[in-house]
Amino acid sequence: MINLFKMDLHRFKNNRIMYLLLFIYAAFQIFGIFMMSQYPVEQGGIPVSAMNASEFIQSVLSQTPSWVLMYVAVFSVYFYMSEYNTGFYKNYISMKNARMYSVLSKILILGLFVLLMLTTMVIADLIGRSIFFGNTAIGDVGFFIKLLVGQFLLHWAFSIVVLCIAMITKNLIASLVIGLVLGLNVPGMIVGAVESLISDLNVSSYLLVNTITSIKDLNNMGDVIHVAGVAVIFILLFSFIAVRYKLKEDLK
Amino acid sequence: MSQAIIEVNQLTKQFKAKTAVHKADFKIAKGEIFGLIGQNGAGKSTLLKMIGGLMYPSSGEIHLFNHAVSDNHAYFERMGLLIEDAGLLPHYSAYENLDLIAISYGLKGRKKHINELLKLVGLDESNKTKVKNYSMGMKQRLGIAVALMGSPDVLILDEPINGLDPQGISEVRKLILQLNKTGMTIIISSHILEELSKVATKYAILHEGEVIEINSKEELQLKCEERIEVEVDEARMAIPILEEQLNIKNYKVISDGTVYVYDTHIENHQITKVLVENGISVHSILKHKQSLEQYFLKRTGSEVDSHD
Repeated sequence: MINLFKMDLHRFKNNRIMYLLLFIYAAFQIFGIFMMSQYPVEQGGIPVSAMNASEFIQSVLSQTPSWVLMYVAVFSVYFYMSEYNTGFYKNYISMKNARMYSVLSKILILGLFVLLMLTTMVIADLIGRSIFFGNTAIGDVGFFIKLLVGQFLLHWAFSIVVLCIAMITKNLIASLVIGLVLGLNVPGMIVGAVESLISDLNVSSYLLVNTITSIKDLNNMGDVIHVAGVAVIFILLFSFIAVRYKLKEDLK
Repeated sequence: MSQAIIEVNQLTKQFKAKTAVHKADFKIAKGEIFGLIGQNGAGKSTLLKMIGGLMYPSSGEIHLFNHAVSDNHAYFERMGLLIEDAGLLPHYSAYENLDLIAISYGLKGRKKHINELLKLVGLDESNKTKVKNYSMGMKQRLGIAVALMGSPDVLILDEPINGLDPQGISEVRKLILQLNKTGMTIIISSHILEELSKVATKYAILHEGEVIEINSKEELQLKCEERIEVEVDEARMAIPILEEQLNIKNYKVISDGTVYVYDTHIENHQITKVLVENGISVHSILKHKQSLEQYFLKRTGSEVDSHD
């Protein structure tokens, strides 16, 4: 497991696409803040320029399409398919337990990418807000940490869902399209619309992307449990599906 | 015969409506070069993928090193695979590709081992060139180096000469023979029997998913040798005449009435003439000559009998 992770990590570190994605995201994020400074907007009655880091991040993530999800989807598909399409896995998959470990290793790498993505987002936001809003306030540090940990887990869960899709479809374009549709929260909107028509249920709020894009009060234990619960359930469920699928898969 | 290290029993692979491999049975002994011959789509790659642990059989069993792999997949670790395309990352150099594999195996002293492998396959000069710029032959050789990375006991090569020029084919052939000399068991598939015959010590012909014949090298040579088959009343009467009048030295008496003549400079009509002139009835005389390729095509029903 450790050896396969080291191999994936080596590939991850030498992956120019990853650095390119992070750079493009940071550039667009700072440009977005510049545009906000040109056309001031408010959210929840607070001007965006006056928000602290936690409020600003929640505000950014709540707007669909979530660009962070888009980048995560692209990287998840790319990282898996670039190995799958070349058949590189054939070189190590006959090792003991390699099928299971290779999936777990990729899940860890995706977690690392999500961590880098969120770090880039926080740094780009700080730079942009500092330059264009003259505001670097973080607000309540405890809330900020809870927000980042919660969003990290949710985005990581999303990357595992996309990994599962890429593994099952075995097709770069199809898995990218499905990943982007999920990132746009199309299923969440459909379920929400159907739900509002037929009952008072609120199941859609427990969907992964809906949880990512909805603003939560993380000082409220209910919201913390909601975020952590959704993230953990999706991580465990889709990791299990991915491993099971790989264990049973006939490789080309 | 030495002990079988690979044994395949009633191995079957079904893909929805198509049976890719149907009840394959064979054994491979240590140190053999086992040639798997079949037309495109005969099921060679599927069979090799099952033996290499990439695919699961629908039914049947594989025994590796005297253990059923259904009980323990760890035995697949001892197989080096080059199945269909070499699984290489195109934007990495040969060294980097091998280094990644070495990391996944947790090898110590990676650099030395990688350089040895690159030298073995003749890529030590171009180890920094990106794989995407390699020729087909270089990729195949690098694929063999990758397959050798874990120091396997068995090397599985699926169509390793596909797309290679004559020089590339010759290099791969030399490499296979060189590896076999170290005691490595090699399974090699091809649809070019003529080329396979230069390396393999045992052959299985696969047709439409079924193993229709298994031959040793000697058996196959016998089936494909050039000879004149003469049927007479009494072979013992015919032999002195053939020796004295046609100077035939190379022959074999198969039965009381059958002689195989291997001196191929002699023509059928010469034999018939001398025997008849000496009062010996000739019931039939046939020139048996077929290339390995013709033999294969005949066995797979793709060509009619090639007797003259």
